[in-house]
Amino acid sequence: MKSYNTYKTLIFLSVFVFTSCNDDEGSPLPADQYSQITNLHAPMTGGQGQEPSSGSFTKFDFATASVTTSDSDWDIAFRGTTIIVNGGTSTGDADEPERNGNAAAYIKSLPFSEVTSVVVSDFTQDSLEEGLAIPTGSGNGWYTYTGPPEHLILPIPGKTLVIRTHDFKYAKIEILSYYKDLDDSVAGNARYYTFNYLYNANENETTF
Amino acid sequence: MLILFCVTKWLFSQVPSEVAMDSTAVENLNEVIISATRTKRQLTSIPLPTQLISAKTIAAANSIRLNDILEEQTGLLMVPDFGGVQGLQMQGLDSQYNLILIDGVPLIGRSAGTLDLSRVTVGNIKQIEIVKGPSSSLYGNEALAGIVNIITQTPGTGFTGRFYYRGGTFSSNDLNTELSYKKDKLGLYAFVNRFSNEGYDLVDSDDVNTVEPFHNYTFNTKINYEFSEKVKLFVSGRLYRQEQDNVASASSYNGESQIDEWNFHSKLELTFNESWHSQFEFYTTTYKAEEFLNDAADNLFSYSDFKQRFSRPEFRTVFKPNTHNSFITGVGVQFESLQRTDFFENPKFNSSYLYSQYEYTKNDEFNLILGLRFDRHNEYASQLSPKAAVRYKFNDKLAVKGSVSYGFKTPNFRQLYFDFTNATVGYTVLGYNAVTTIIPELEANGDIANLLVPLSGFEGNLKPERSIGYNFGINLGIDPKLKINLNLFRNEISNLTDTRVIARKTNGQNVFSYYNVNEIYTQGLELNASLKFNKNTVLTTGYQLLYAKDKKAIQAFKNGEVFARLTPTSPAFVLSKKDYFGLLNRSRHMLNFKLSYHMEKWNLDSNIRATYRSKFGLYDNNGNGYLDAYDTFVSGYSIFDFAINKTIFEHFKLGFGMDNFLDFNDPQNISNIAGRIVYGNVTINF
Repeated sequence: MKSYNTYKTLIFLSVFVFTSCNDDEGSPLPADQYSQITNLHAPMTGGQGQEPSSGSFTKFDFATASVTTSDSDWDIAFRGTTIIVNGGTSTGDADEPERNGNAAAYIKSLPFSEVTSVVVSDFTQDSLEEGLAIPTGSGNGWYTYTGPPEHLILPIPGKTLVIRTHDFKYAKIEILSYYKDLDDSVAGNARYYTFNYLYNANENETTF
Repeated sequence: MLILFCVTKWLFSQVPSEVAMDSTAVENLNEVIISATRTKRQLTSIPLPTQLISAKTIAAANSIRLNDILEEQTGLLMVPDFGGVQGLQMQGLDSQYNLILIDGVPLIGRSAGTLDLSRVTVGNIKQIEIVKGPSSSLYGNEALAGIVNIITQTPGTGFTGRFYYRGGTFSSNDLNTELSYKKDKLGLYAFVNRFSNEGYDLVDSDDVNTVEPFHNYTFNTKINYEFSEKVKLFVSGRLYRQEQDNVASASSYNGESQIDEWNFHSKLELTFNESWHSQFEFYTTTYKAEEFLNDAADNLFSYSDFKQRFSRPEFRTVFKPNTHNSFITGVGVQFESLQRTDFFENPKFNSSYLYSQYEYTKNDEFNLILGLRFDRHNEYASQLSPKAAVRYKFNDKLAVKGSVSYGFKTPNFRQLYFDFTNATVGYTVLGYNAVTTIIPELEANGDIANLLVPLSGFEGNLKPERSIGYNFGINLGIDPKLKINLNLFRNEISNLTDTRVIARKTNGQNVFSYYNVNEIYTQGLELNASLKFNKNTVLTTGYQLLYAKDKKAIQAFKNGEVFARLTPTSPAFVLSKKDYFGLLNRSRHMLNFKLSYHMEKWNLDSNIRATYRSKFGLYDNNGNGYLDAYDTFVSGYSIFDFAINKTIFEHFKLGFGMDNFLDFNDPQNISNIAGRIVYGNVTINF
């Protein structure tokens, strides 16, 4: 029976040693440091099968803090996991809106609150040759794809999307979830974005 | 005269009692291992980390398939993979990095990299030999983490036979018949196994069973013939067939899958004189797996096949000029081919090799092995695999051993020739050699939106994965009752092959291909101990501590590039190096216990066995791409088994037992654990 006790002790020890927790990192950001958009719907047709993905993009305008159907007053647009900017040239994707603004983007590997200024030289725009300013694909841009069996799209923590709007203002975004009401347990909840953002309405001002 | 009489009396009275008192010690001296040197050697003299599982141990556990017995061994873990197969993890390295041999020749048929060990019956096994650490200096390709060599039964004396049946939970039936004949120069052996299972379902929410009904047969025949004391011939044939229902997740589809495997193995042994001994060996094997699905109207919906052939003639010579020195040299050629659905061509691999090993042995005190092997391959740069191992015995209580060796694994056919597009999701996976042919075709079809890696990146060869292994062991025999073996190991693996996105498709999906990138290491310690309370009660226990990590990941954590969140909406924070857990599906701790008890009065053997595995991660679920302290882990678990076997009138044996009697299961995460299995068995020897 001695062995059994040793065994239990070892299990206990291993549980004890490898369960550690940081308690101080769960507190939310102060309310004046971000705004939040919940459940922005970004539907898509095709894409999951042999046929090319299509369907119109859901456009977002920072100045009005809302989804828009305007042809020119939009900054970024969503369709499935793809995010495009209103700047640059067509990537050849079906049903892309015309890019007629000066929007651009880059991804910074820092938590949202720590991105306090914009590096103007880091911005890129969408193009056929260079791809999207916010790359798609698991681990390339803002998300990882877990693969089977869960097939989840999970935002990468610590990736902040830095955006130049179509009219030379700056914003930063932290995507929190790709699922309606943050609930990823149902596959049908996919393509609903929840994100935090901070928008500086003063033109050419590069700090947040 | 009186003194002589006394001494003689003392000797005679001592010897039998000594045997009875310490039969394991005597057995240990007789334990012989072939795999470490390709010649018979006393197990304890081998300077490499080895493990030996005897037929007696297998019978005591009432195991029926190879995975049953291996998963009870220290540091070995059976890992489920797609399609219900189970592969072996050894020193923290996956199934694709260990070599499984039957009588010294390799088992083939890794359809997705994993070699399924539930394919192998233990009914005809004499012993299983395990050599840990890279062993390419003797065995070449794939012997990167180590080898498992299954030594099958050989004809005994006279005419003997054995019948075995085990029935249990899930209508599982295992039936063995073995016949053996040996007289004068001729030895014959025949073995048949049938194993079936009605299947079972542990997850109700889907349309498929956890294991679909199957049955399989193994046939093995052997002929030994001694032309003279100096010329001996061995011929062996093995056939395996399995049929299993094939059901797709949508219940309207169903079909069958079938595996056919056969192998032929022959060996001519020539003994020229006391110093020279040669063997000609020829081995050829084919593995074929086919599966189809029909739709509701019984029309063919999908079909796939996989057919691999492997042939190898080898000639080796042992030269033993005196009792201290021994040389072995072997030369051989390998031919390998594969036909498979979703391949862009039918590849062929040819290679030739030459190996040499020198052994120095001094009175069981000092052993040295120096080995070197050269492999030439039609697709890859030549490989030179060295090994050095040394053991020194200070006294009867203490021996130390250490080894450094090299192992390699050439990319498999899939990593080179795969051309696969997922029909439902639409992504594409291309083998390295397929890229320059297939990408232009996809571009011409308008399927490619943009190319992320230029085609010029695929002009060279994908490099073999390579490993350098270090092992250091201490054998302690504190007293005849307590033995402790400790082994420290570290494997440094480079050129590890992984997948990456090479192009973006117009359907929003990606094209993946393989490339050499990762450098990982696995390190840890292994501890085995046996304690003999008395002649009938023995406790054995084993423990493995394992760290398996990706060096690039360590760097990313060090650089502060990895973040996590506590809740989906709380702010991200940076993780430190200590938050990195390591590779997926590796447990830091694994533990096993076995308490055996022999009840003389009733001629009864019983044992209770336990294995424990600490928590592990199956995938990253907080989005940062690494397994870290803030991911959700699969909890650690234990499995308890017990078995009782009673021998009646020497020739009959009845057995009863329960595997996993506490009925642990977690089908979502650990699909190869079926829950409690109750069984009974009967053995008749004649």
